[in-house]
Amino acid sequence: MSEMLRAPAEVKYADELDYLESVDTGPKPFSWRLSPRMVRLFVLGSERADGLEREIPQKWFGDRSFVERSIVTLASDRGLLLIGDPGTGKSWLAELLSAAICRNSTLVVQGTAGTTEDHIKYSWNVSMVIAKGQSRESMIPSPIMTAMEQGVVGRFEELTRSTSDVQDALISILSEKYVSIPELNDDNIVFAQPGFSIIATANSRDRGVNDLSSALKRRFNFVRIPVVTNKRSEAEIVRFRTEELLRRHRIELDVPPTLLDILLQSFADLRAAAASATSDDEKLESALSTAEQIGVLEDAILHSQFFGDRTLRVETLAGSLMGSLARRNPEDLAILNKYLHGVVEPRAKQNGEGWAGFLDGGRQAIASLS
Amino acid sequence: MTTATAPDDPHRTTGDGSGTAGAGVAAGPFGALREQLTDAAATFAGSADALAGILAGIVDDVDRALGERLEIFPVCHHSPASALAMVRRLRHKQPKVIYLELCEDLQPLLGELRNCRLPVAVQAFASELDGFPAEWGPLSVVAPVTEASAEYQAIAYALETPGVELVLVDRSTDHVFQWSPRDDAGPAGATGPTDDAGPTDGTGPAAVTASTGGAGEQAALHGDAVGVEIGDLRPRFAELEAYLLHHGKVRHWSEWWDQYVERPLAGADHDTYRQVMVLIGSLFRRLRPAGSDRTERDEDRERYMWTRMREHLAASGADPADCLYVCGAFHAASRVAQFGLDSPAPDFAITPRTGTRWRYGLIPSSHSAIEAQFGLAPGSVSIAAATWTKAVSGSGLTPFRLDGQRGGKGRGRRKVAAVAAPTGPMADRLSGFLAAPPPLDGLDEAELRGWCVDIVRLARRNGYLASTADAIAVFETSILLAGLRNRARPTPYDFADAAVTCIEKDVVPGRRDVRRLCEILLGGDRIGQVGYDALPPLARDVLDRLQPLGLDLEKRTIGRALLDLHATPALTGCSDLLWMLRHLLPADAVRPIMGERRLGHRSIQESWDLALGRHQRALIELGYEGVTVEQVLEQRLRRAVRGTDATAAGALAAVEDAIRLLNSPRLVDELGARAVELLATERTVDDAPEVLRRIRRLLAHHRATAPALPAWCEAFVTTGYAHYCTLLPTAFVEEETGVRQVGAMLGFLFSMESLALSLGCDRSQLELAVAQSHPESPAKVALLWAARHQLGLLPLAELRERCAELLANPLVVPAFPRYLSGFVHALEPVPGLAPFVVETMSTAFARLPDPVLLPWLPTLITTLREHGPELVPLLVREAARTFPGTLPELDAWVPPWLAPAPTPTPSAVRVGPVGQVHTLLAAHPAAVEAVAALLGCDGGWSTPQATPAGPSESALVAAHPDTVEAVAALLGGG
Repeated sequence: MSEMLRAPAEVKYADELDYLESVDTGPKPFSWRLSPRMVRLFVLGSERADGLEREIPQKWFGDRSFVERSIVTLASDRGLLLIGDPGTGKSWLAELLSAAICRNSTLVVQGTAGTTEDHIKYSWNVSMVIAKGQSRESMIPSPIMTAMEQGVVGRFEELTRSTSDVQDALISILSEKYVSIPELNDDNIVFAQPGFSIIATANSRDRGVNDLSSALKRRFNFVRIPVVTNKRSEAEIVRFRTEELLRRHRIELDVPPTLLDILLQSFADLRAAAASATSDDEKLESALSTAEQIGVLEDAILHSQFFGDRTLRVETLAGSLMGSLARRNPEDLAILNKYLHGVVEPRAKQNGEGWAGFLDGGRQAIASLS
Repeated sequence: MTTATAPDDPHRTTGDGSGTAGAGVAAGPFGALREQLTDAAATFAGSADALAGILAGIVDDVDRALGERLEIFPVCHHSPASALAMVRRLRHKQPKVIYLELCEDLQPLLGELRNCRLPVAVQAFASELDGFPAEWGPLSVVAPVTEASAEYQAIAYALETPGVELVLVDRSTDHVFQWSPRDDAGPAGATGPTDDAGPTDGTGPAAVTASTGGAGEQAALHGDAVGVEIGDLRPRFAELEAYLLHHGKVRHWSEWWDQYVERPLAGADHDTYRQVMVLIGSLFRRLRPAGSDRTERDEDRERYMWTRMREHLAASGADPADCLYVCGAFHAASRVAQFGLDSPAPDFAITPRTGTRWRYGLIPSSHSAIEAQFGLAPGSVSIAAATWTKAVSGSGLTPFRLDGQRGGKGRGRRKVAAVAAPTGPMADRLSGFLAAPPPLDGLDEAELRGWCVDIVRLARRNGYLASTADAIAVFETSILLAGLRNRARPTPYDFADAAVTCIEKDVVPGRRDVRRLCEILLGGDRIGQVGYDALPPLARDVLDRLQPLGLDLEKRTIGRALLDLHATPALTGCSDLLWMLRHLLPADAVRPIMGERRLGHRSIQESWDLALGRHQRALIELGYEGVTVEQVLEQRLRRAVRGTDATAAGALAAVEDAIRLLNSPRLVDELGARAVELLATERTVDDAPEVLRRIRRLLAHHRATAPALPAWCEAFVTTGYAHYCTLLPTAFVEEETGVRQVGAMLGFLFSMESLALSLGCDRSQLELAVAQSHPESPAKVALLWAARHQLGLLPLAELRERCAELLANPLVVPAFPRYLSGFVHALEPVPGLAPFVVETMSTAFARLPDPVLLPWLPTLITTLREHGPELVPLLVREAARTFPGTLPELDAWVPPWLAPAPTPTPSAVRVGPVGQVHTLLAAHPAAVEAVAALLGCDGGWSTPQATPAGPSESALVAAHPDTVEAVAALLGGG
């Protein structure tokens, strides 16, 4: 296979999936490639007690019951809607689930303000229609329709970003499980094959942009993914994603554990501050999610790799933290400044390890931003 | 597993006559199992040492416990399986004596359970401590009792069957605290989250105290009592529990227990039940942190219980074969030397109780309170209760029940029918239980379907858009989830997860989320109630005295009582009692909606919200303090003024309460005298504003109601005068003392001055104190000026001049607002200064530069609102008097202080018409001349024009001549 910047989960973990499929003896719903228990094992990793010859690493970090509820929903009649703050790993979970269930996580519709019903159902190859007339050949099926035809999982990212009438096109797909093509005289219904389901994601911060109609809500099971606040699992996630990233960029760089601690601690502090804020102005615009942390670290790593001396320094980290979190000019900068002054400064005086550098880097970054 | 392994007790009784065998000896019914486990240990651990010791030891423990002559019945708390096994065993064996692991001093209370609706908690309470650190007080121990528990079955059987004796053998509540570590802040702290963080001990003072935060009202029913419970069975260290949960693929301990022990044991026979329970007890006993205080306490308790049982058997001569010892499974696997009736070890030396006076009672409990107290998952006790009900109806057993027990269905039966006992040698039931997965119940489709339909209905009622389609989806999802989690039938926990998945969307429409609805559906929280007969005398007295209100006060709802004291004076007693309860109970228990009781004020109509049923615990605990509410209130007030942190202001508040609520002059005098003492010994003036406010109110009250002030009031005023005079110079200088405090001191001195002087104080004290005061901060300087003005040492003109100087000096201008604050505070002691304060403030607004004025304005407003709300009306009234009220007037308005002072001219003196007054004054000129001389008025006597008295005056006087004649007669003027 030619090289990919980012391989989809089913390609990346093809070995693991093959292995799991070969040892899977459990009952499989519909046309699933793995049984529900193996899907769970693929997502959450294996333990000694599972009795597998090969260790399956954990890929998604979070409560076991979220994964179980999601898998069960996909085996039932309803669609799955993962809802949560940005950066909580909704899309990653969706990708892992569809990769494990049907080995295809690429049938994705991205919801935007410009998404139309065509993107969900089908559209036409205009030149072919002119040449040959409307037929199944000249029809371009949407990813969702493809998923129906193949009996696999289709994904709909950021469902609430698309407008309500477009969202409602999903209602008939989810209840009747077919799409009719009135333009054709015969062969004009595409029936969903067994195994078809939809995983949608929605941002809880955007709720209300285009609220879901209750008819559509009824056809989805909602699984709310919370922001990870457990420091241990958060450290695990950051480490996991960073390693992947370093591998992808082929960067030989060490992320010192103290630095990771500083990153996690600073996010924990800022989250606490946001939780106690009374108005939006006292709150950073960022959701301070784990993905944001990974972004900060990635930025710092790339910066040190290409503009620094190829070692990750705490000053660089502070700089990229300030850079990524300061989005609104007076408000966010004021909050970060307050944080540096009120929290980091005393800490730097108390136990200088790392925090003094963090303070310096942060101050420089703020000075250059404001 | 570094913290695990308990070394074998050196005093262990091995090889006694009861068939107990040492490790490695393949004998007895468990020989094969022991061998198998030792082999397994050798295979997996590489050596047969530690692991084999533990595994074989567990089997030994089972062997030993089951071989004991006195039948040991291991139980676990809130386990319907335990309760079922207990019912079966009691019906079968019909023991004559039951030994129960519960604090022995709680015994007399158990009979009162029949007057209550379960769950209730048996409580021991002590507020007067003797032999315990004072800061531990008040001590409180609760032992909750639920219907679905083995101990309730045992209690009900023993109390309802003639000839059966129930003996509580665990250490007394006094020992619970005697054995608590002393070095900690308190018994709760010592036994709470330190070494027993997650898992909690059954009957030790170990249970984590109930957290009140966020847990809701029901969860806080036990207050901060230490919980004791029979048969807590939980891993003793967090790692083991986490390990079991992780591999059991469950989320919390209750779920693990339900799946792996409860359900498999639900229908088990007696032998299997006992063997498995002892096995689990032994496992947790052997895998526990070694050498902790808690381990020692547990072992001491076991020694205590065995000693008590032996004592009882010796004294009563009962046959051990007719006895049953009910204890937690943990204690059944005990390895102390005193274990067993045949143990040669000497009896445990039981220490005498301390002098602490314990009081006992029953308080209402609830499922959520039990869950919160003992760290169980929310809803687990309710689920256990539901399981019990279902198991009872399914098994055809008749559970025991106290006669007259309230609540639930009457299923009790007094006559205990003997069931034929299959007797035989003990057989190994463990191997089978451990080797094969337990036969699980099949899917109970009807039950699950019922749940699904009900949850949808409940959800709809709570605002969710749920429909029949959701019921179907919940059903399907429950089964799928159970399958994914390796269970043949969905547990209530699976069902709850499925319901959340299918019904809960992005928002919770009502007050309750779906998980909470599931809890309600599966039994819901049940709140117990203590019946009237089981209440302490005080609580009964309260209910009796509130009878005239005609409300059912035992109900858990809020009742509205309307008291028209004018129409029904008989209700005055109720009203008095309610005000006292208002003072003593939590704010929500009795809440006045209309009417108030201040000093000297009683409302004619009152209306109250009463929720005594909901706050039964508070009322019952009040009952431990005395026999009547009056007595308790009196004690509390006395305690409030005698305590080490009592203050004069607090004592005055107590005096006020005593007048308001008790109307006992004797107590008022006593508290007042104490207030004087407290004031004289106080070294700070922090409370001065409060003292001033209260004493003013009390003085006004006494002046209005009694011909003379009580002695303590006079003493308070004279003491206060001297006290504040002494402290004034220091208070002016000290930085810690605020302006408000100094203002209040001056307020006391000036407003009480006339009274104090009449009582023999010396004014020079005050003058000296003011002369010695040299404040530095601007606000206090302003206060001092005001004080000197009041004393006549600083005329207004000079004061005005000083202010003008301040404003003129650019170096001082930034500090001017602080001077102004001082003047505002001076309104309290020197109210006559109000026009000047308004004037100064207006000048400041006019002349202060913006950079000084603008930042100060918000501070002024907040300071006024916080510290001097009573001064604001005064200021506003004065301002309204000074400034024009309409716009047109404003154009022509000149501030009074800028207006040229009117020069008095002699011609302005109006000469009134000659009347009898004038004649009178002219006849007696001495007084008038003296006044004129004092005022510096030397205009002399003017000759009046002789005009006849006006028609109106003379008509009036003529019509009512009596007054004039009387005055005339008095003056002898004729």
